[in-house]
Amino acid sequence: MTFYELLVIMHIVGTVLGVGAATFAEIYYTRFNSDDIVNDDERKVLSITYTVMRTGLFLLVISGFSFLLYFRLTEHVETLTSPSFWAKMTVVAVLVGNALLLQTRILPFAIGAAVSLTSWYVALILGIIGTTSATYVEILVYYVIAIVLVGFSLRFIRARIHAPKKI
Amino acid sequence: MTTTLAALLIIHVLSGVVAIGMHNVVLMHLLKKAPNYVFVSRVAWSAVALFFLSWTTSAYYYVTYYGSAVKPRILAGATPVAHTFFMETKEHIFLLLPFVAISIALATTYLRANADGRLRKSTAFLTFIALTIGITVAASGILVSGSI
Repeated sequence: MTFYELLVIMHIVGTVLGVGAATFAEIYYTRFNSDDIVNDDERKVLSITYTVMRTGLFLLVISGFSFLLYFRLTEHVETLTSPSFWAKMTVVAVLVGNALLLQTRILPFAIGAAVSLTSWYVALILGIIGTTSATYVEILVYYVIAIVLVGFSLRFIRARIHAPKKI
Repeated sequence: MTTTLAALLIIHVLSGVVAIGMHNVVLMHLLKKAPNYVFVSRVAWSAVALFFLSWTTSAYYYVTYYGSAVKPRILAGATPVAHTFFMETKEHIFLLLPFVAISIALATTYLRANADGRLRKSTAFLTFIALTIGITVAASGILVSGSI
């Protein structure tokens, strides 16, 4: 196995953990909060899920920068200036900023959750498609539209789950 | 590039990125009302060690290789601004980072014995500044590498 293949595996594992944990964090939170009470056991489950998400982000960032080094040392630097690469870097920066804003309670949870879930999936999609003809600004416009759509979808789902049961 | 220089570049980038990540951890904990200051100060001092490691390895790389082999290629290439603006800015702002990191580590060590809400908030703000500088420096480094 080459060093490059190891980096690819690390990058994929980081993405899988991050996307999976972000998805389940949203599912668990929506389910646990359906009675407007998150008890201690539910809090522990959420805490473990967020730890898995942070582990995924750590693996993603370390393997991502290792890729940059690999490209730099092998003189394949054209990747470092591609729009999809910078869009991915922006998405990762948004993930970090979003976590900080959620921690300080500046950002409402509903918006933060939509940003987090969308960002993980956008990072995954950008990683899969690799190079694209879209410009950096176009990718970010799609990203913002996706956040809005996901935000409204989550709001709709939460409203349905919170709806009074018909007897 | 020799193997030693390649190893130094790898250490510079990875130790810098991990140190930035550690400042992110410090900030996330300092934003809590009652952080575990023992853990926070340990992470903060680890970030100091990594920033100095990143600093010294990059200094050797810059003095012995970058100026003579990389800089002329960037200046002759399509985006000389990668050196004239981004590298020049990065190399000066980066000088601050280890010392800002030391200030954060000292403050968190003081907080271990003297928990103080105002100092916690001030340290969190300083850590936010260090984090912003770190991310800016890392992004500039990518731009410089991509302009060769």
